[in-house]
Amino acid sequence: MGMGSNERYAELPVRMEVPEEFVKNFVPIPKEYVEEAYRSEEYLVFIGPQHPGSGHMRIILRLKGDYIVDAIPDPGYVHRGVEKLAETRLYIHILPLIERPTIQDSANFDLGYSRAVEKLADLDVPKRAQYIRVILAELSRIATHLYDTGILAVFIGHSTGYMWAFGLRDVINEAFIRITGTRTTLSYTVPGGVRWDVKPDVLNFVNELTNYLERKMKDMESIFVKNPVTIHRLKEVGVLTKEEAIKYGLVGPFLRASGVEYDVRKVEPYEAYSEFEWDIPVADEGDSYSRFLVRVEEIRQSIKIIRQAVKNIPDTPILSEKILSRIPPKDRPQAAKDIRTFLTKTHVGLTPGAGEATTLTEAQEDSCYLH
Amino acid sequence: MKPVLSIINWALSWVSGIISSAIQLLYSIINYILSRPDDYIPFLWPIINFLNHVPIINIIVHLIFWRPIFDLLFVPGLVSVLIALIFIIWFERKLTAKVQWRIGPLEVSRPIGGFLQPFADLFRYMFQEFVVPLQADKNYFIHGPAIVFILSTLPIFFIPIGPKQFTLPNGTTIEGIYGIYTGYDVLIAIALITLFNIGIILIGWASNDRFTYIGTVREALLYTGYEAILILSVVAILLIYGTADPFKIVNWQVTHLPGIIANPLAFLAFLIATLMATSRFPFEIPEADTEIVLGPYTEYSGIVYGLVMTMSYEKLYVLSLLMVLLFLDGWAGPYIPYFGALSPAIWFGIKTYIVMMIMVFTRSVYGRYRPDQALKMSWSSLLGLVIAALVLSLIIDLLIIKPL
Repeated sequence: MGMGSNERYAELPVRMEVPEEFVKNFVPIPKEYVEEAYRSEEYLVFIGPQHPGSGHMRIILRLKGDYIVDAIPDPGYVHRGVEKLAETRLYIHILPLIERPTIQDSANFDLGYSRAVEKLADLDVPKRAQYIRVILAELSRIATHLYDTGILAVFIGHSTGYMWAFGLRDVINEAFIRITGTRTTLSYTVPGGVRWDVKPDVLNFVNELTNYLERKMKDMESIFVKNPVTIHRLKEVGVLTKEEAIKYGLVGPFLRASGVEYDVRKVEPYEAYSEFEWDIPVADEGDSYSRFLVRVEEIRQSIKIIRQAVKNIPDTPILSEKILSRIPPKDRPQAAKDIRTFLTKTHVGLTPGAGEATTLTEAQEDSCYLH
Repeated sequence: MKPVLSIINWALSWVSGIISSAIQLLYSIINYILSRPDDYIPFLWPIINFLNHVPIINIIVHLIFWRPIFDLLFVPGLVSVLIALIFIIWFERKLTAKVQWRIGPLEVSRPIGGFLQPFADLFRYMFQEFVVPLQADKNYFIHGPAIVFILSTLPIFFIPIGPKQFTLPNGTTIEGIYGIYTGYDVLIAIALITLFNIGIILIGWASNDRFTYIGTVREALLYTGYEAILILSVVAILLIYGTADPFKIVNWQVTHLPGIIANPLAFLAFLIATLMATSRFPFEIPEADTEIVLGPYTEYSGIVYGLVMTMSYEKLYVLSLLMVLLFLDGWAGPYIPYFGALSPAIWFGIKTYIVMMIMVFTRSVYGRYRPDQALKMSWSSLLGLVIAALVLSLIIDLLIIKPL
C-alpha cells in the first residue's frame, strides 16, 4: 500500500483512564496493575462472581486478544460473617453457626470449636466421647471426599462417578442419622463431650458401613479413579510444586499432594488420634490427579481409623466431670448417657473467663483454625 | 410458423408422454391392488387374510405391501427406524440407570419397564410450543433440523438388509428387502453420513446463541477429527472386498471370513470413529451438558427439539447398520421359517441392536475428553491405527487374495 507498517495504526489521543468502579468498589488488585494492563492494550475481564462448582468466586482475567495472560482468583464470597454473629451469642449457640461454612464437614468444625472452648474452660473430655468424636470426624471426612469426587465426576462428564459417589455419601448420611439424628449440620459435638451416647447396634452399623464402603470404593476405583479418561483429564493439570504449595500456605490434602507430609492429626494429635494406626497419604506430582488420589487414599485411611475406633471404644461417660457436676446428683446417671434435657443446666451457663485459645483441626479441605 | 408448430407439437408429445406414463403407473398400481401380494412373511398371514375381507382396508393393505411402499414405510424404512430409536433411547436410559443404582424410566407403562417413555416424551414435545428466538435466523433455524433429519434418514435406503435374491427352502425365489440398489451403496451411504455434520453446523449457526456457537465450533472440530478416520477405515475394509456393492460384500464375508476377523484394525478404527461421529461418550464434546447446555441444539423446543435430540441416535443406527454390513457378516444367519422373507432382516436387526447397545453403554463407563485431547488423539494414534489398517488390507489384498 506504500505505507509503512507503523503508520497503519494511528495513535488515538484517547486517555486510558481506570474506570470509576475500580475506585468506588473494592477490587482485590492494585490500581497500578489495572493501569499497566490498560497501557499495554490488554483487557481486564471480570468473570463472576458465580458458582463454577466449588464455592462462589470471581476470576479476573487479563486478556491479550484470545490469550489469557493472567488469571487472578477472587474468592471470599462465601464469607458469612460468622465471627461477628458469634460475638453476641452464648457458647452453645455458636455450635450451629460454626458449621455453616461447610455443611457436609460439620463434624470437624464442631470438633475444632468444642476443643477451643474446652481449652478456655479447662474441661476434660472422657475417652468414649473422644472416640465418638473421631468416628464422626472421619465419617464426615469420607462423606466430603465423596461429595468432591461426585462434583469432579460431573465436571469431567462422568455421570456414573457422580451417582456412585453421592449414593455412597448417602449411606454415610444414614449413619449420621442413626448417631446424631440429622443428615448434615450435626451440632452433635458439644464442649465437654457429645450430646448422647451411641448404642451398640449403631456402632455395628458403622462397622458394616466401613466394609460396604471398602467394597464399593474398589468398584469406584475401577470405573472412575483409574478410568483412562479421568487420568487424561486430570494428569498434569494445575501443577503446584512443593515450594509453591508451602509459599501459598496450602493445607490439607492439597499440601500433601504436593509432597509435604503434614497432617495435624499426626503433628499435634488431638482427641484420640494418637491411639490409632494409620498413614498419611502423600503424592509428589502436585497435579489435579494426585490431589484426587490423595483424597481417595484418605478415604481408605479414614475407614481404617473408624474400624479401630469402633472396635476399641471404651465404656465411660460421654460428658466431662465438670459439666456433670452442674446437674443434681440424682440425674447424673441419666445425663451421663444423654444430655439433651439438661442442656440449660450444663451449657447455657457455661461461661469461661476471658482468654484466648487456639486449636488446629484437620478438616476435609482445610485445616480448621479457630482462635 | 413452422418452428412454432414444431415446438407445440413437441410439447404436446411430451405432455402426452407424461400422461401416458402416469396412466401406466396408475394401471400397474390398480393391477397390483387387484392381485394378491406375494410377500412371504408367514407370521403376518392371519392378519392379512382377515383384513382382506374388509372392503376398503384390503386395498390399503395391498398398497402397503407393494414393495416400494413397504420398503419406505416398514423395513428398512421409517417404522424400523422409529422402533430402533425408541428402543435405543429407552435402553440407554435404563442401562445407565441400572449401572448408577437408579431405576430409570418406569412410570409410563410400568409392566414393560417404562418402554413407552420415549413415546410419552414425543407427545410432550408435540404439544409444547415451538419458540423461535428473536436473534435466530428464522429460515435456517426452522428448516435446518428437517434437512439434517432427511440427511440422516437417507443412508438407510442405501443399506440393504437382505440378499438381492432369496431362495426359500421350498424352492420359490423372492426379492430381498432393500431400498435403492446402485452397486456403490456403501460409498453413497458414507457420503451422506459425512454431509450430516454440515447441517448441524448450519443449525447451530442459525440459532445465533453463545452456547450454540461454542457447540458448533466443537462439532466442527470433532468433525475434522473423525471424518478422515471413518472414511479411511471404510476404504481399508473395502480394499479387501474389492467392491462397494453390499450384496457382494456380504457374499464375500459368508464365503471367506467376517470383516472383523479379516481386518480387526479397521473395525476398531470404525468403532471409535462411530463413537466420535455420534457424540457418544467419551467424545460427547459438542453437547457437553455440564459445560454448554446442549451445544448446537440449545435453542430448540417442542417437536423440533425432539427431532434434533434423536438425530445423533439415528446416525448411530445408520452407522451400526453399516458396521454390521461391513464387519459382522451382514444378514447372514440361519433361516427362520416363521419370519419368511424377513428372516435376513431379523438377523441384521439383532446384530445392529447389539452393536448399538454396546455403543450406548459407554455413557456409563467413560467421562468426557477435552476437545483438544480428542482432536490430538484422532490425528495421532487413531490416524496411525487407520493407516495400519490400510497397510494390513493392502497386504491381505496383494499377498493372499490376488494370488488365489
